[in-house]
Amino acid sequence: MKFLTYIFLAIFGISCSSDKETYMPISSNPALEFTVPSNFPEPTYNMALNPPTEKGFELGKKLFYDGKLASDGVVSCGFCHIQDFAFTHHTHIVSHGVDGALGTRNAQPLHNLAFQKEFTWDGAAAHLDLQPVIPITAEVEMNETFSNIISKLQQDPSYVTLFSQAFKDQQINADNILKALSQFMIMMVSSNAKYDKIERNEGAVFTDSEARGFELFKTKCANCHQGTLFTDQSYRNNGLPIDPQYNDIGRKRVTGLDTDIYKFKVPNLRNIEVTFPYMHDGRFKTLPDVLDHYSDGMVNSETLDPFFKQGDTVIGIPMTDSEKEDIIAFLKTLTDDSFIADDRFSEF
Amino acid sequence: MKKIIYLICLSLFMYSCKDDDNPTGSLSLQFTNVVGTNALTLETENYTNTSNETYTVSELKYIISNITLIKANGEEFIYPIAQSYFVINEADANSKTVALSGITAGEYAQIKFGFGIDQSNYPLNGVNNFIPTAEETGMLWSWSAGYKFLKFEGNFTPDGGTQDDFILHVGSHGATLDNYKEVVLDLPSSIAVNESGSATINIKADIAKIFDSTNTHALATKSDIQVDPVNAPKIAENVRTMFSINN
Repeated sequence: MKFLTYIFLAIFGISCSSDKETYMPISSNPALEFTVPSNFPEPTYNMALNPPTEKGFELGKKLFYDGKLASDGVVSCGFCHIQDFAFTHHTHIVSHGVDGALGTRNAQPLHNLAFQKEFTWDGAAAHLDLQPVIPITAEVEMNETFSNIISKLQQDPSYVTLFSQAFKDQQINADNILKALSQFMIMMVSSNAKYDKIERNEGAVFTDSEARGFELFKTKCANCHQGTLFTDQSYRNNGLPIDPQYNDIGRKRVTGLDTDIYKFKVPNLRNIEVTFPYMHDGRFKTLPDVLDHYSDGMVNSETLDPFFKQGDTVIGIPMTDSEKEDIIAFLKTLTDDSFIADDRFSEF
Repeated sequence: MKKIIYLICLSLFMYSCKDDDNPTGSLSLQFTNVVGTNALTLETENYTNTSNETYTVSELKYIISNITLIKANGEEFIYPIAQSYFVINEADANSKTVALSGITAGEYAQIKFGFGIDQSNYPLNGVNNFIPTAEETGMLWSWSAGYKFLKFEGNFTPDGGTQDDFILHVGSHGATLDNYKEVVLDLPSSIAVNESGSATINIKADIAKIFDSTNTHALATKSDIQVDPVNAPKIAENVRTMFSINN
């Protein structure tokens, strides 16, 4: 009977030799565990189609911080997405690109991307694997082509090795570049703010001001900044006066619909304390500036969200100064220091 | 005992290399762009649409995808999706011949293909490897991370009017509007794909139908169509009807 086993083994071993040549054991590339925090919804990103692995993550991180993805060899993804500021471009109103070019929008924070349905301020990318195409190819951002990136990476032995370890087909191609970047980005989960520890009953408690702020937040802000992710992922016009320098039409750029003009993605508010400046064009420097806009600064237009109107009158979000202070105290409980300091995501 | 071993060996050999069992062949799709009964000539030739507008074409490109061959009994051969995306560019003769290989041999009665990129495959199934090609041919809408399915440009003169440029770019609008269309064409005589020699299917694309088919589009109404949720779907529907077999 043992004899039979050997025959089986021998036959399996040789019968498809053509497969064997291209097959490399990937046991040296363990899968990464993606843990959904108990207070979070199920992720939107289909991990079965791009399961994160150690090597895929390592490759994605290397790509994220590599200027090779830009035409000038300098402006990497990490150039505008700096970890200390929840992966935003600290103090920069709009994103900066190659050769000193300026974009038109503020770099958004990167965290909890596995839970988002669409990406960028106007939802232009309907899948995380597509999002990097926008900054990489935009003239005012990284201004590079995928063909060039592929040829640059092919000349770098460390990438040849990493791609062959990370992906079964071992290819340096656009699909694998984007998949590796996604593997790195989906692991960026920010779920250990004081707020989370309270929501999960892990012993933390709000101060009086934070508690008052949370109650106010629920009635005044949570209509749009919903749930544990602090966004309902919709597109809305929040009454910002039009900046003639950009005249950014927002969501209409993607859908072409007049009903979408001046609408932008409701941003999630996690780590909001460190992601200044605020709004799609970075026009507000501080959180008090933001709340002052909601209480007193809104302008009416056809697509202004009905939440801010009573009949034809713009009412914004009425708030007293002390209410604003409490809301800001609450917002600061969304800062996740362990995420900002997490070595897994840091450049060095 | 020996007999059993022999049988096991035989059955394992049969199953383990199944791929090698079916003979395959190659097929080329030859695209010819015409305007009605005339050949399409870029830049120099004038054409007239049913809205009495004369026009010249400076650029014509479109994406063909998801090629499937169908036998008379309905059996389908689906070309590997990751390799199934092509840009047909009037200015590039090579692009108008789509060479397919590894097709299961047989007699095929119909061909099915897509105009554009279907959202169910985008960005999955390796379709992102089409990005460099789309980029080089200017078929990527970088700021909306999507593809232009059709890039059709030139100039036109309305009846009694003055000359102006036209730009028709049709693609998907984020996840809100999918202008992808499926085209199914009957082959007048079935095409035999086999190991010896390469079969050819000649596909004619009548550009006049972009303006005049299911929908009529006068350029005077709108000559700049880019992310246009009203006009782009009408143009896409017209594109769906512009293909025919010319074998």
